[in-house]
Amino acid sequence: MAERLDPRFDLSFTLNGAPVEVATTTATTLADLLRERRDGRGTKLACERAVCGACTVLIDGLPRAGCSVFAFEVAGCEVVTVEGLATDGALSPVQAAFADNAAFQCGFCTAGMILLAEALLARDPDPDEATIRDWISSNICRCTGYGPILEAVGDAARRRREAAR
Amino acid sequence: MTATTNDPPTRNIGRADRRADAREKVSGQGVYTVDIDLPGMLHARVLRSPHGHARIRAIDASAARAMPGVHAVLTRDETAAIPMPVYGYFIKDQPIVATDKVRYEGDIVAAVAAEDEGAANRALAAIRVDYEPLPVVTDLESASDPDAAELFEDAPVGIVPKYGAGASGALRPRRNVCYRFSYETGPADAFAECDHVFEDVFRFSRMHHFHLEPFVCVADWSREDGVALWTSCQNPFAVRKEIARIFGLAENRISVRVPYIGGAFGSKNGCKTEPVALALSRLAGRPVRFCLTLEEGFLTNTQHAAILKLKTGVMRDGTLVARESEILLDSGAYSDGSPLVAEKAGYRISGPYRYRRIKTDCYSVMTNTAPAGPFRGFGGTQASWACESQIDMIARRLGIDPCEMRHKNLIDLGEPFVPGESGMDSDLREGLDLVVRELGYRRRGALPDDGAVKRGMGLAIGFKDGGGINKPALARVKVSTNGDIFLQCGTVEIGQGAHTALSAVAAERLGADRARVRYMPIDTDHSPFDQGTNASSGIAVMGQAVDRAALAARRQILEFAAGTLGCAAEELDLAGWEIRRGNEAHPLAPMIMDRFGGTGWEFVGEGFHKAPNSPAAPLESPCVFWEIGWGGAQVAVDTETGKVTVETLFVTGDAGRAIHPLVCRGQDEGAAVMGLAQALFERMIYDGSRLVNGDALTYRVPLADDLPADFRSVTQEQGHGPGPFGAKGMGEGAMLPVASAIANAIHDAVGIRLTELPLTPERVLAALAAKDTP
Repeated sequence: MAERLDPRFDLSFTLNGAPVEVATTTATTLADLLRERRDGRGTKLACERAVCGACTVLIDGLPRAGCSVFAFEVAGCEVVTVEGLATDGALSPVQAAFADNAAFQCGFCTAGMILLAEALLARDPDPDEATIRDWISSNICRCTGYGPILEAVGDAARRRREAAR
Repeated sequence: MTATTNDPPTRNIGRADRRADAREKVSGQGVYTVDIDLPGMLHARVLRSPHGHARIRAIDASAARAMPGVHAVLTRDETAAIPMPVYGYFIKDQPIVATDKVRYEGDIVAAVAAEDEGAANRALAAIRVDYEPLPVVTDLESASDPDAAELFEDAPVGIVPKYGAGASGALRPRRNVCYRFSYETGPADAFAECDHVFEDVFRFSRMHHFHLEPFVCVADWSREDGVALWTSCQNPFAVRKEIARIFGLAENRISVRVPYIGGAFGSKNGCKTEPVALALSRLAGRPVRFCLTLEEGFLTNTQHAAILKLKTGVMRDGTLVARESEILLDSGAYSDGSPLVAEKAGYRISGPYRYRRIKTDCYSVMTNTAPAGPFRGFGGTQASWACESQIDMIARRLGIDPCEMRHKNLIDLGEPFVPGESGMDSDLREGLDLVVRELGYRRRGALPDDGAVKRGMGLAIGFKDGGGINKPALARVKVSTNGDIFLQCGTVEIGQGAHTALSAVAAERLGADRARVRYMPIDTDHSPFDQGTNASSGIAVMGQAVDRAALAARRQILEFAAGTLGCAAEELDLAGWEIRRGNEAHPLAPMIMDRFGGTGWEFVGEGFHKAPNSPAAPLESPCVFWEIGWGGAQVAVDTETGKVTVETLFVTGDAGRAIHPLVCRGQDEGAAVMGLAQALFERMIYDGSRLVNGDALTYRVPLADDLPADFRSVTQEQGHGPGPFGAKGMGEGAMLPVASAIANAIHDAVGIRLTELPLTPERVLAALAAKDTP
């Protein structure tokens, strides 16, 4: 019964720089598709209503709530998840800044916050405080009170600029 | 950071290095219960009551049982075979699935385990339930009226703990009240000598914890010889005990494992998803994952709404004399942690002030709403809201500055809170003076008004007893041949930084860097017993056990080396996994293999801590430490729109000694923002028995945009804590003063007093209108 309502198809997209060919169904969300993979559980699901942003992933560079994107929508797209940020085991500047500033506590929002910050800094390498606050306000963190996250994003921007120099 | 300690530099204590869980959490590698996936695992969903209160005439689940992909259906027919299918803390009143009645909208009526959640949901839709609706109880003040409907007709099955001097408890003292806590000290006639007696009533709104990781567990009862449970739970040993009692199992056949927890704030104490998942797993013979949605979380556990009536007697110079209080806590439909919350709200209602007379009665009132339970602050938030508002009101009535009024009455450092209690372990005036300075409180008279926008400042001191009641802690530290440290204890990592702080303590005692410590995964089969990760007890209670365990291991290592080197252990020191004797350094690994052979050895130290029992202490044992949150706010009140803008929020806690400064700051600021949200907007809204905003979109939690333009915290290190290196617990204190500091600031700005949370524009405007109407 489920098969008839939810037909299978083959999906191709790029995940963290590597091509992915996967059989999935039309009703499968991107977040569920990612979490079914052994290396995909860093994407966390919380509200599943595109409000909290815990499941944020980058689709062609834009932050999107993975819970509310169908898998078929990413056909041919570049998808980046938290698992794709480190290079040869070295944390990205945003990850390192989150680690050094204790910009997390329980860690459940952290992947989404980090990807949100990556998207911001890719667009605006030197955001002012108001811009950082505006962007970070699209995701929910229940633990930190946000201060360390806002500081980590500013810190990450500095690290990225220094690395690019 | 104001470091007031003069301790020598250390390897680990006070270092703002990366948290122990940093790498895993920023790289997406940290494992949470939601990530557990077992072969053959089924998925559970539950059918919930659409009625606030109803008798169940019949349940027909036959169609659901026959549906494809369905492996087990759980109704009252199945739970009848379970030895004790009810659970709760003091009172066992919550059924695994409803039996005779449902008592709130969202009460679990039936459960299904199926190949996937979709199949389970389709099966639930095929279950027919015949309800006979009953009148609902939702109002705290009329719940005990003779004509009020009754949630429980039968006498409660429960216990009252053994209280000490002045304290008492009672089960079901009146209709729809599951528990009453009372406390009394001092002469009953104290009010007679007061110059003034003030009576005020305060109302406290109700929040949901909104932990991002949902309530979730994976239960495996597919084998005859025991059950395994992975759960997002703050107190795995308590859950193990409940599971054993419910299902008639031996505790050594139940393995409870707790990976990282994605937030809890109190909600994940005690059974939540576990009994349903275990019952289904047993029926299906396969592992079952039961993961609630966030919306179901609202229906599972909440904070306590409250009405607090205070009667306070004072002298005309502002000296506090007597305080009587009656507190009604909205406990929802099942008792959960409510008796304990009642105990704490009642005990904390006098605040950090000296009185000759205290009398308090706190009632856990049952209503047809979601069960309330532990929530950050644990009754202290309700108490602080009322207490710190009324102190301000009394000061203004007497024409005394609210800060001076507090100064005059605060308990001194070392002075017992009440007779039989431990002494105050923070200098309360030092913290208050810090807030006054940081806020610029003395200059508040010069704050500029801006047309219709008026400014003001307010202060508050949140207060609670910390560290839990009569709580034992046990820890084990193992050190391998190569000096790798295994830290085993039952404190779970909810995000509070327990791995970091406790590992730092163990490493410090063993002369090692924290990176050498692995905080071992929690499994009730191997982890030392623990009552639970709650009551800000991590560093102040478990920290002392870890400290002793590490010192015991250190002692063994030094004695071993002394035997080998032919000297006294007192001559030796341990650093960098070498034995230091004067200016000699002896590597330990070869010394160990020389004695024990090439495979080497492990040194094992155990440490235990518990506050001594005392009949003189009102709550079984003296308080472990006092958790204080000082706060101050500057607000701008728009008298045309009623909007309150918190321009400055300053909070400060006393870590005693900050084992890890970033962790301490995170606890205070996270707590303060929760308090800020409760003050201004965050609340569960009920229409009768129906929750109308129980989802992420309509239930507003604070975002980064909600932070005051000037939001700061300072971690004091006053050095008086009982924990390792003088540490005290953190985590709840800074939530406590925020709402009353803001209400006090509003009063300062525009001369109105709001006594009900949240402090919405509508309430501000109504109070302004009332003030202007003679």
